Amino acid sequence: MKTKKKGFDKVTFMFVAPAFIFFTLFLIVPTVSSVYYSFTSWDGISPNIKWVGLANYKEIFTSARFGNALKNTLILTFFISIFENLIALGLALLVDNVRVGKKFFRSAFYIPVLISGIVSGFIWKIMYNYNFGSINSILTSIGLGEYRQDWLGNTKLTLIMIGVVLVWKGAGYYMIIYLASLQSVSPELLEAAQIDGASPWQRFKSITLPLISGAFTINFTLSLINGLKVFDQINVMTDGGPGFTSETLVYLLYKVGFNEGRQGFGTAVGMMLLFLIIILNTIQQKFLRSREVQM
Amino acid sequence: MKKKLAMLCAAAVTLSTMAGMGVSAESIVTEPTELTYIFADGDEGAKASMNEIVNRFNEAYPDITVTIEPGNGGAYSEFIKTKDSVGEFPDVMEMRDTALYVRAGKLEPLSDEIVSLFMTTTEFDGEVYTAPLAGENTNGIIYNKKYFDENGFTEPTTYDEFIELCEAIQEKGDMAPLVVGGQDIWHMGFLFHKVYNDQVLSQDPDFIEHCYDGSKDFSDPTFKAALEELQTIMSYAQDGWVSTPDAQITTFLVNDMAAMMYSGTHMFSQILAADPDFEIGWFAVPSPDGKLRLVGGGGVGGLAISAEAAQDPNKKAAAEAFIKFFYEPENYKVYCETLSAIPATVEQPEMDVLDVLQEVIDATNAADDLAPMWNGRVGNNELPPDFRNFTYKTAIEVLQGTRDIDSACEELNKTWQVAMQSFNPLDGTGIE
Repeated sequence: MKTKKKGFDKVTFMFVAPAFIFFTLFLIVPTVSSVYYSFTSWDGISPNIKWVGLANYKEIFTSARFGNALKNTLILTFFISIFENLIALGLALLVDNVRVGKKFFRSAFYIPVLISGIVSGFIWKIMYNYNFGSINSILTSIGLGEYRQDWLGNTKLTLIMIGVVLVWKGAGYYMIIYLASLQSVSPELLEAAQIDGASPWQRFKSITLPLISGAFTINFTLSLINGLKVFDQINVMTDGGPGFTSETLVYLLYKVGFNEGRQGFGTAVGMMLLFLIIILNTIQQKFLRSREVQM
Repeated sequence: MKKKLAMLCAAAVTLSTMAGMGVSAESIVTEPTELTYIFADGDEGAKASMNEIVNRFNEAYPDITVTIEPGNGGAYSEFIKTKDSVGEFPDVMEMRDTALYVRAGKLEPLSDEIVSLFMTTTEFDGEVYTAPLAGENTNGIIYNKKYFDENGFTEPTTYDEFIELCEAIQEKGDMAPLVVGGQDIWHMGFLFHKVYNDQVLSQDPDFIEHCYDGSKDFSDPTFKAALEELQTIMSYAQDGWVSTPDAQITTFLVNDMAAMMYSGTHMFSQILAADPDFEIGWFAVPSPDGKLRLVGGGGVGGLAISAEAAQDPNKKAAAEAFIKFFYEPENYKVYCETLSAIPATVEQPEMDVLDVLQEVIDATNAADDLAPMWNGRVGNNELPPDFRNFTYKTAIEVLQGTRDIDSACEELNKTWQVAMQSFNPLDGTGIE
């Protein structure tokens, strides 16, 4: 039997075209043009764009500021990937097992996700304020005044405090994914294990955890990417400071690109960030995928 | 026939009434024209006075509508760049990075008629692009006069007396000697400029030019001395200064949490708004060599017209009309009074000046040196874009002890070398 060879399908193309054009114009074209700009010394405004070859990349590898931003980005990403997932899993287990007010807890834990990054940054910035913030006020009122800190001004604490805000804001989102995964675990399996005498911890470790490993892969991937591109809270809370203490790669990109009129160098930083995301994500996917269990 | 006559009469009455309203009959524009206007609205006083003047203008010129767009005062420079990059460059704006935008061809030269309104303006190749909003904001110590009187503290007349005063307040222990809004990087600039002026500019007014030509760098002993002076002064700042925003420093002063602040005259109205009974005192801090060096005179920033908007004759006419209207004494008075700004116009508005502002004006007249901030200079002493902020951030690292002065100077030298590759007024890099 002769099969009819499919030609150009106009109808299919019409359906795909809007998304294709949008995707091309707003993602593919800027990404490709960024590669070009990263080899220039363009200031972002002037019509004159000068080709500088690898100068921007050479500067990146010798710049202490880039090294500092890379270190901060990795610390922050590691911090939020671990704590966001740990807390999200804990919250999901709590919501899954609680008998009363399940919907209430689920909504309550999810509310921070609905607050914009800028707003959450402002809220926490006020709370962290050394002289007027609620955290130091509470510490003073309960007699722990000696533990008052300049939470965002102390260079040893700044990154952690930003991390806390990111975890507070993001954990609810990951909780929903864990919760969906937990609810798909077959009760029969858990019941069978219980009958066989497995303790709650053994059931969790040997049955629940492997069966929700797909959620781990999704959540760790998302929190890794979100950690690498965190911007809003840093912009609002510290402006990358004190000094350069909380400057991350995205923030450095923004600062040099927009503030310092070095769009070319900023774009080169963006390209490095892209490579970093690809490398870390590939490693993570490989590690997590190998641990996934299919039912 | 009667009906037609009645309609004609009505039309005539309406037209004559319209002609009597506003200035539309003068035909500044040939059709209704809209202008977008952006200014750094981080300061409440600036916001209130600009709104008032724009409302007055819109009433006076019914054919022109000036619309204020939010200006994101905290990060104004980058905000304007973002607006430009997304094709929303305003028709009229408060311009700060004048040199950058002039070079990019984004600004329209101002007419001679507008330029003649001002005592001083800044030229780029013979053209003026900005109408100065006010004389440069003169910084000095603003203090709690009542507290000083009660404790027998007097205004210091030398730098050493100033340090002794800070020491005495610190020893007393009831409030911080100095409140600093270190979270806002531009606020740090006030104090940085003071020490830089004292130690560097006093020795070499063309220090930046000499850094460009390689005969000096930031490891220069004068620059190190500036950082040392900054360390000395900042040792009297309140706890948590690095995370205190500029918007909070008034609260410290009026609530007896700090005795002094180092800032500009724009703070007077903010302090009185926070506490109308607060007794404001002001003095300038002389340099360690005994000379009085102050920020003042005309600066490079001000109101500017977009070159793109000026291609439309109606927009250009409307924008020029707006700028002239802004500087009419009765309108400009609103701005100057609200911000306690020193007028920059030839025809000075009659202002109800605070005694303390008069003290500032007298001090600027008596100063040994009156010049713009170190980052507000043009020509061979113009800084590369954002080198100012890099310097302030590095200075904060020194103040926090995360970096010593030598390493800070090295870091500045490295960054300077990189910055010079894309901007150097001596050889024209980044300018042509």
